Amino acid sequence: MVDSWSMAPVWFTDVGGSALMILLSLGAVVYAVRLVRVQPSNVLWTYLLWLTAALCGFALSRGVGHIAKRLLLLMEMPDIWAVLKPYSGSFNTLAFAVVAAITFFFQRVHRIHTEILRDQEALERASAEVMRLNLGLESLVEQRTHELSRSERRYRRIFEGSMDMIFVLDAEARFVDINGAGVEALGYSSPEEVVGKVSFEQVFACRAQYGELMGDLSSRGYVQARECTLVARDGSERFILLSATVRKDDRGRVQSFEGIAKDVTARVHMQRQLQQADKLASLGQISTGIAHEINNPLGIMLGYTQLLLRDMQQGSQLHDDLKTIEKHARNCKVVVEDLLKFARGTRTRRTSVNVGQCLREVLSLLAHQFELDNIRIQTEIREDLPELRADGEKLKQVFMNLLMNAKQAISQSGTITVRTRLDPREDALLVSISDDGCGISPENLFKIFDPFFTTKPVGEGTGLGLSVSYGIIQDHQGRIDVSSRPGRGSTFTVVLPVSPPANESPGSSPVERRQP
Amino acid sequence: MKTMQSGLIRWRTILRSAGFALLLTGIAPLFSGPAWAIQSHPAPEGLYAHQLAHFLFIVAMALLSYWLQVNHFTVQRGWRLIQVSCLLFLVWNGVAILGHWSEEMLPAGVLLGNSDWGQRILFQGNPAAYLYFVLKMDHLVCVPAMACLLLGIRSLYREALEERGPSHG
Repeated sequence: MVDSWSMAPVWFTDVGGSALMILLSLGAVVYAVRLVRVQPSNVLWTYLLWLTAALCGFALSRGVGHIAKRLLLLMEMPDIWAVLKPYSGSFNTLAFAVVAAITFFFQRVHRIHTEILRDQEALERASAEVMRLNLGLESLVEQRTHELSRSERRYRRIFEGSMDMIFVLDAEARFVDINGAGVEALGYSSPEEVVGKVSFEQVFACRAQYGELMGDLSSRGYVQARECTLVARDGSERFILLSATVRKDDRGRVQSFEGIAKDVTARVHMQRQLQQADKLASLGQISTGIAHEINNPLGIMLGYTQLLLRDMQQGSQLHDDLKTIEKHARNCKVVVEDLLKFARGTRTRRTSVNVGQCLREVLSLLAHQFELDNIRIQTEIREDLPELRADGEKLKQVFMNLLMNAKQAISQSGTITVRTRLDPREDALLVSISDDGCGISPENLFKIFDPFFTTKPVGEGTGLGLSVSYGIIQDHQGRIDVSSRPGRGSTFTVVLPVSPPANESPGSSPVERRQP
Repeated sequence: MKTMQSGLIRWRTILRSAGFALLLTGIAPLFSGPAWAIQSHPAPEGLYAHQLAHFLFIVAMALLSYWLQVNHFTVQRGWRLIQVSCLLFLVWNGVAILGHWSEEMLPAGVLLGNSDWGQRILFQGNPAAYLYFVLKMDHLVCVPAMACLLLGIRSLYREALEERGPSHG
């Protein structure tokens, strides 16, 4: 017995070690499960879970077997252990095989894991690149938006600040956008009154001109410096030089029209006035010459006729003939005198004149006749008009002529409006006489002040009324503006300067002036 | 991305197959019976199968340890501990193989008494007896091996927790 050792330490190590193996393997499984939960996408942790599970199975199989063996032998039940022993041994063998089998998968799992990591890195790199590009794009978009906004502001300033009319029309030629100059030129107070409410055709004075313009735009795609006549909201004519383009879509359908129009009304008026003045000045010189040349023989003819009449017995044939000669000589004298008035060849007696009073006197003379002819007269004559230094009688003659013309323009019945106002910009007093009669055709508009021009039937007018009026107003350093729309009526505006002419002192006595 | 998805699918397929194989392997012995018709399997076959399984275990642990080394897993403490665990299991398998062998080599009469707590071993200068006595305490190797595995996984778990950050709890 000296050389024999107790096997108790072996069995103790066996049982204790088996129990520890079970506990440690279970602990390993628990941590592997936690690991998988922390990083579920990591296949290596899943692999470790399987490995620890297999090792746990091995520990359980072996540990339970060993502990059971010791317990059964302790409890003197070797027969039961003899039955269980082969199973325990088999399970142990299988557990080893399973652990080994799972272990062999490691390299493969590692390869998959590496691929996943590589893909993940590539994905992250791609994501970072996309983020970088996105940031760059955002910055670029912001920069472009800023530039666009600045550009839009710049062009908007040009659009709004332009002295020329700039506008955009839609496919149906309705105003879509218009700048301030355009709004003002058309006589509106804000773009909202025009945009979407007014069509381009509406502002054209002549439909034919509009049709021709749109035809050219459609066919050529643009027009350049086209002279057009527009009508403002208040009926006044605006002369413009229009340049416009058409914007079409891919199918050639009109999308919009864009145009710039330069208002040349003042220039056109001035040119016309200059032409008119030149023409009338020439006519005036001719008329003066003729009148003077005719006046003297006419005076002699009239004088001798009157001398002969004294010696003739009334009722005789010769007396009647001489009377006819006298009558026509007098008529000729009236014409000659009118010509001299037109040519400012007559004396002008300037006194302090109340133009409103002159108008009222003329209107009172005509009121009855106008009433009989179904013509209504509307007056807007201001009471606070300043007194002018003018020839009152001649001004009355002018107003009379203009009112008579207005009456004749109205065929059946209508309204004549007489209005006065002060224009502080021109320092002038304006008298406008408007009618709603037949109007004046554009081709006649520039001839109406010509001597002997008339549209009345032969014998009903001499054609000197407006010429005389023109001469009188010119003599007062004023002018007569005419605007007319055929079929809608005409407006004659007499513009008289309020301040005395530069070559006259305010306190000077009435001066008779004879113009050359 | 596509490769990652296909990798995951492949991994799931492998695990599913392995699980199924494990299940079959686990329940098969319950329904096993004598295979008289084909070939008889006398007692030594069990021992040989067991010893071969130990050998397989050794190869597996050696391979795993090698792979951990060549793939530079061992730079992490957790994997290093798992590698140590592999090596200890490898040693333990060697111990177990030798233990089984020495048990077979024991001459009759070396173990005195029943195989219980009172059993004694008579050495009488027999190397197999000494070897058997020492190698029978194989738990002195496999318990540290399992402990290393536990510590290794715990270390990896803690690193994973740190990596995830405190906000995730």
